[in-house]
Amino acid sequence: MTNNIIQVQGVSKIFGGLTAVNNVNLDIAEGSIYSIIGPNGAGKTTLFNCISGFYVPDHGTVLFQGLVLNGRSTDTVASLGLSRTYQNIRLFSNLTAIENVLVGQQPRLKETWVESIIRTHRSKNEEKTSLEEGFKWLDFVGLSEFADSIAGDLPYGAQRRLEIARALGSKPSLLLLDEPTAGMNPQETLEMTALIRSLRDKFNITIILIEHDMHVVMGISDYISVLDFGNKIAEGKPEEIQHNESVIEAYLGPGGAALAQKYRRKKAS
Amino acid sequence: MKTLIRQSIRTGITFGIVQVFFILIAFNTMIGIMLAKVSGIKNPGEIPAPKFLIAYTILMGLWVGIAALSKKKSLPAGQKLVAGFTASLISAILVGLLEIGMTAILVNKIFIRDFLTVLSFDFIKATLFGLTPSMGILVTIGCILLGSLVGVGLNILSNLHAVQEHWKKDLAFIKNISEKVQYSIHGKYHLIWQIVGISLLAVAVILIPMKWGSYWNYVFGTVGLYVILGLGLNIIVGLSGQLVLGYIAFFAIGAYTMALLNAPEPHNLMWGFWPALLLGVVLSALSGLLLGLPIMRLRGDYLAIVTLGFGEIIRILLKSDVLTNFTGGPRGIQNIHGPSLFGKPFNSEVDFVYLIIAGVILASFVYNRLQQSRTGRAWLAIREDETVARASGVDTIKYKLLALAIGAAFAGLAGGIYASRNQFTGPDEHALMASINVLSLIIVGGMGNIPGTILGAFTLKGLPEILREFANFRLLAFGALLVFMMLSRPEGLIPSHRPKYSKPKETAADLQKKEVPHDK
Repeated sequence: MTNNIIQVQGVSKIFGGLTAVNNVNLDIAEGSIYSIIGPNGAGKTTLFNCISGFYVPDHGTVLFQGLVLNGRSTDTVASLGLSRTYQNIRLFSNLTAIENVLVGQQPRLKETWVESIIRTHRSKNEEKTSLEEGFKWLDFVGLSEFADSIAGDLPYGAQRRLEIARALGSKPSLLLLDEPTAGMNPQETLEMTALIRSLRDKFNITIILIEHDMHVVMGISDYISVLDFGNKIAEGKPEEIQHNESVIEAYLGPGGAALAQKYRRKKAS
Repeated sequence: MKTLIRQSIRTGITFGIVQVFFILIAFNTMIGIMLAKVSGIKNPGEIPAPKFLIAYTILMGLWVGIAALSKKKSLPAGQKLVAGFTASLISAILVGLLEIGMTAILVNKIFIRDFLTVLSFDFIKATLFGLTPSMGILVTIGCILLGSLVGVGLNILSNLHAVQEHWKKDLAFIKNISEKVQYSIHGKYHLIWQIVGISLLAVAVILIPMKWGSYWNYVFGTVGLYVILGLGLNIIVGLSGQLVLGYIAFFAIGAYTMALLNAPEPHNLMWGFWPALLLGVVLSALSGLLLGLPIMRLRGDYLAIVTLGFGEIIRILLKSDVLTNFTGGPRGIQNIHGPSLFGKPFNSEVDFVYLIIAGVILASFVYNRLQQSRTGRAWLAIREDETVARASGVDTIKYKLLALAIGAAFAGLAGGIYASRNQFTGPDEHALMASINVLSLIIVGGMGNIPGTILGAFTLKGLPEILREFANFRLLAFGALLVFMMLSRPEGLIPSHRPKYSKPKETAADLQKKEVPHDK
């Protein structure tokens, strides 16, 4: 298919004797919100790291807009238009919020260090537009009043949103979000869900999501893949996943599927 | 009350130990000499008159008294007295015990100068104020108690309601004035103030070196060179976060390039100052790149150790017999020729001070521009989290190499000027201690900012030059300063602040809105 923005073909990653990701295939359509779920330790973050260039997969290839990503360094991957956030927030915590977003724009800037020193016309213009852009993204995630606050001092939810703003700085076409609602209260989770959806709707950014909160996942995903012990055990639309027996067993243990069916019947009657 | 006394005893023991230590390193006679000089005595000798030592002891008591009451503002006066008295008594007893021991040495004529150089018989007699031992000890204890009572009294007085009110008024007055000044500086007369400030500074910079003697010019020239070095190392350590310890090697490369190209021995090339300076800067930058390539994967401690090794390699190469014919070996290179500009040779310290000031301005300018640009932000991101910086699209290898090269170029510039000013350079000028000096000056001054670097260079290079008479205490004071700084101001004398950004489009409109109320 041509409209697949990213294709993961038979990717495996092995740490010592442990196969963290085993022969996983994903085809992710452009403009979709795609969730990867699975129990703890299923290999979701490892798969993310393989896609974003942190790890080189031991087998298989990752194709991004038709380009092979394997072995490219993370900064090249970022400049191709693939951004990500982290499971544990990793902001530049001693810089201000706006500076964080400005750093996120690095792959698109052309100013060289010599231009920085003599401050040419181009570098002034570039600085101005990147500031404008930066404030636009801060506005978008609702943090413009905190622009000059030190990132590490921001409240937890704001730090999560700032990480997204930083990732958006490079104008990505694909955004990988690693547990964006972890540790948030229900209200913050709702806001985050709305934010993610508007990213896709307004800017047509394809989103791959790792998430544990099933309300979020089932609410916004177009398509879901389920990992367990490194294997992809199911994929499909949210309602298909909800009824998939092997998924239920992966979460609830053997016999879980039968239990769930019993529960559903009870609920229906 | 019990806890109060326990705390006071603890304070007393701490300060007693400090005072015993001070006496063992003859700090008391040093302060005594300083007091004697301040009071107008030209030649106080090695051991000052007893009255100055008594004054020292009272001052120590004052310190104990004030320290015992720190963070205890709200206590009633009686309890304060008890606390101050307990603390000073304990420390006085400790000092007394030391003096009993010293008396024993004196009486039995034990010669222990082999172990403690300062404990001469004369020194012991002076510490006892030239009195009999028992009287001397009593006077010591009395002085410390007296001092601490004065300290307690000051504390009680300063916390009285009336005094506090007075202070508040004074503070408000000062604050009001400083706010007015700040408004006029940042307000609409901004430009005028800037021009006035810069021209005043320029006049001062041009005039002062001419009026000073060559000694002051030498001192401030050295400080200026260390400012350039500090700014260079700040780019590497403060901005890009790479802990490089052998930084002085780049300085050595600059200095030796200047020396080899401009001295009659060993090569007699005589290129002239300016081409040699330029080549020195380029070679330093290149060596920064060369050092950078193999260490790009190293971080933190490992990077520090490898660069430490690099610094030593350069020094040992310069010193080695194998290269004697090329680098002059351990003897160094003499008679390095100075620069000339428009046919006028530089032959006094004043000329070099101007040259160094120009160097400092150039270095500050480059540093400032880089810091405020995309490049500076990329460096800061690397310092904060290299992995994430890379994943955000920062070409970390390029920027780390760039930081090393530019930092090294600064050092090469300083080295070239240094060699030419001293007309000499040798391998031992580029020892590890010099690297550590530069690193400490940016840590003490405040990592990552220009005023901090300048202040740090003054504190660590300027003050020791000025206080040459206390040369013996220089390293001690240096160590004490570092420990004190790390405990009380770990971010340096002038900590860095992040710049504020405003939305570019709204800037003009915002300013107008803010200006309106003031116009009315």
